[in-house]
Order: sequence, then C-alpha cells, then structure tokens
Amino acid sequence: MPHSHSHNFHSHTDHHDKYHSHSHNMIAPTIHIVCTLIMVIAIVATPDARWLTWLIYGCGIIVLLGMSQVDLFTLYQRLAVESIFVSVSVLGILFRDGNGIIWQWGFLKITLTGLLIFGSVLCKLGLTLVLMNLLTLTMPIPVLLQGLSILRVPPLLIAILGSMYRYLDLLVEEFMIMRRAAIARNLLAGKRWQRLVIGNMIGSLFIRTYDRGNRIHQSMLSRGYQGVLPLQTPPKLNWRDRLALGFTILFAVFGQVAFYH
Amino acid sequence: MPLFPILNSQFLAMHIPDGFLSLPVLGVTWICAIGFISIALKQVESDYQDRAVPLMGVCGAFIFAAQMINFPIPGGTSGHLLGGTLAGILLGPWAGALVMSVVFMVQGFVFQDGGITALGANIFNMGLIGTFGGYYLFRTVRNLVGHELRGIIVGTAIASWFSVVVASAIAAIQLAISGTVPLLIGMTAMVGWHVMIGVGEALVTVSTVTFIWRSRPDLLYSSSKRINSDLSR
Repeated sequence: MPHSHSHNFHSHTDHHDKYHSHSHNMIAPTIHIVCTLIMVIAIVATPDARWLTWLIYGCGIIVLLGMSQVDLFTLYQRLAVESIFVSVSVLGILFRDGNGIIWQWGFLKITLTGLLIFGSVLCKLGLTLVLMNLLTLTMPIPVLLQGLSILRVPPLLIAILGSMYRYLDLLVEEFMIMRRAAIARNLLAGKRWQRLVIGNMIGSLFIRTYDRGNRIHQSMLSRGYQGVLPLQTPPKLNWRDRLALGFTILFAVFGQVAFYH
Repeated sequence: MPLFPILNSQFLAMHIPDGFLSLPVLGVTWICAIGFISIALKQVESDYQDRAVPLMGVCGAFIFAAQMINFPIPGGTSGHLLGGTLAGILLGPWAGALVMSVVFMVQGFVFQDGGITALGANIFNMGLIGTFGGYYLFRTVRNLVGHELRGIIVGTAIASWFSVVVASAIAAIQLAISGTVPLLIGMTAMVGWHVMIGVGEALVTVSTVTFIWRSRPDLLYSSSKRINSDLSR
C-alpha cells in the first residue's frame, strides 16, 4: 500500500536536477531564504479576516511564480499531496462553535465565526505552502541548508541536517528493500504479525544505521576530519540582494497597511 | 474494514501546519524550542564529539525512513511510527530529541510537512515532550519494574503510548489558545485519535526495542554507559 509520505518523498526528490528558476542565480541564497521567511511570517501574522492583505500577498506570489519560471505542474503535484495532509485538520475548524449559525445539520453546524477562521486559516495555509514550495523548487536543498547559517543556525546543526539529507535516499531505499523482502516471504500478510515484523525491521534498520554512522565517521576521520566543519563565508550582498530584501519588507508592510485604507 | 476510511492517521498527523497558531503561541514555543535545541547541541557535541555529525545525521534519516511505513492500528485503520520515544530510548534524551528536531526541520523545510512558523511548536510537542519526556517516563517505569527485559518492555509500552497522547493533547491546547480549534473539539479529535495511534506506536516500539535488546543490547542507550567507550570497538 503506497503511503502518502512516500509520494511526498518522491515528488520532492525526483525534481532535484530540474531547477528552472533564474531567481536563485540572481540573488544570494541567504537573501532568498530571508525574503521567503519575511513573507511567511507576514502572512501568518495577519489577523483573521483581513482578506485584502492576503489578496495583495497572493498577487505578489503570482508575479513571483511567473518570474521564477517554476514548472507549474510540479508545483501542483506537490500542493495536491500536501493539501491532503492538512485537509482534515482544516475541516475541523469549519464545524467549530461560534456566533451566527449559517447552516446546521444535526450536531454539525457552520457558524460565521467558524467560517471566518476557516477562511483565514485556508488563506494562510495556501499562501505559505506555495511560497515554501517555490523556495524548495528553486533552490537545491544543500544550498538551502547552508543558507540557513545566516539565520544564526549553529554550524553543528546545519552539518547534521546536511548529513541527514545526504543519507535520506539511501536509508529510505534500504527500508523499502527490507519491506519488499518481508512481503516476498509472506511476512506482512497477517495483521497481528505485521506490527511485530515491522518492529523487527525497524530494529534491524537501526542496527545497520548505527554501524553505518560509525563507518561514515571512520571514513571522515581517514579524510582528515577533526570535528570541525569547513565554514562557508557568507557571500557579500550586492545591490540586487539589498533591493530584493528592501522590496520584500516594503511589500510585507504595504499588505498590512492596505487594510486600513 | 476501517471505521472512517478518510480518517487515516497519516492525514491527522501532529505536524501543525502554518497558519493554525497565533503569534504568542508561536513565540513561546519557538523560544522553548531554540533554548532546548541549543542545550541539546552542546550535550550531543560533548557526548559524541566528532561522531556527532555522521551519527546524528544517519539516525535522523533512520527515523524518517521508519516513519514512512504503514502498519495496522487497533480499531481498523492504519498509521505509521512517530518514533519520538524510540529515538529517546535508543539514543538517550538529548541526542534523541536533537534527532527528532532535525527530522522535523527537514520535513518542514524540504517536504512542507509541518509549517515553518509552527516548527518551534512541533519541536516543542514531539521533540521536547514526546522524546525527552518519553525517555524519562521509560526510565522511571523500567526502574520501577526492574532492569530485565520485562522492565524494558513495560517501560517502552507505557512511555511510547503516553508520549503520543500527551503530545497530541498539548497540540490541542496550543490550537485552543490560538483560537483556531476549540479545546473540546481539539481534544476529542486529536487526543481521542491518538489514544488509538498510541497503541500502534507502543506495539511497534516494543517490538523494535526488544529486537535490538536481543541482537545488539550494546546499542541501547544507558545513562551509566560512557557513549564514547564503544568508539574504539
């Protein structure tokens, strides 16, 4: 039975070589990340029911989508998977209690308050999802992780994140091979045994993983690793970076102020 | 036959997306998460020294891989491992919580599974409460029962069930404080559901830990053991 995590996994890893974007060549990765985060925070921080603000941000994101030249179908595929993840939790909001009942059927009712919060969460969710997908579609993940260093993320944490991402494909693949082997031996047929077998598989994978970690460490040592990672010097900001950063801040503020006019 | 086919647990994961939490909740959970991670990083660096990067990295990938497989949950549906307590039992509270936080960061940044602004809350709920709390609950129960396999099994079962349920309860409380989902609905939906997920989590975690205890007991974290002593092995 395919799992949505694995759909999600492949829809993200399959497209690593296809960066259609030009924008990540134009501005430094760190500025790209900072601008995305500013917009995400601005979207999330907007109080409920300020539709105009989200409309302005949405228009900005559409312009950005056009400029970045990402493959819209890839983006759609990702969003489709990701929206399944959140759909149930969003629906929970729709049927909440509140003032002004609009629709009622038994104990299920939709209220004005519920509808407002539902719409607001939906706006925030949709806009941030598109923005974050835009970031990961236009920037290779190792570059993204390195770019986090400017946000004062400790180098050790970035190194661990990079190391995890490096071995993700390998371990997922190894686990799928184990699963295939178990299915081939009819071990995953019974429901009661299934959990035991999966538990044993996970245990076996951990033993292999731990040994693999030690082997990686040994080979790192043999290449001269002394527990200090080469630090990347943050790139100098050029006028494009400053312009992008300044414009993003102005745009975020403009969206918030526009509500009052 | 699943009772509610659509209510498959993978769609009810505890990863809180962006837009669900209010600014005060986001702020408090971020501060807790950042403080917690910086202590965990220092602990792991001094415990594992130059092994920290490769070992924590592959263990993060391990948890990610382990979360990908579905298994039946009592009650008729299926779910997957969350792995917080498992990470704590295998790697210890600090390294386990750090590995879980790293998994959430990669899931949030790379796979958009869980929000970026809600990352602090997700680390707080499942890294701090789930893993750190789960490990100490495991240790307490194991010490009460005794150090034999039975103690490990009982401790693992209780800790992994509780960590899942408590983490979901705290997520429901955060959603209620944020004014997004009322406490009653949140509690019934989240906690009621995770009571069942917790059973699956406990069964699989027990089976995993028992397997490792039987085949490589030296790999289970023990607070008295010097982590670096097996370096020269």
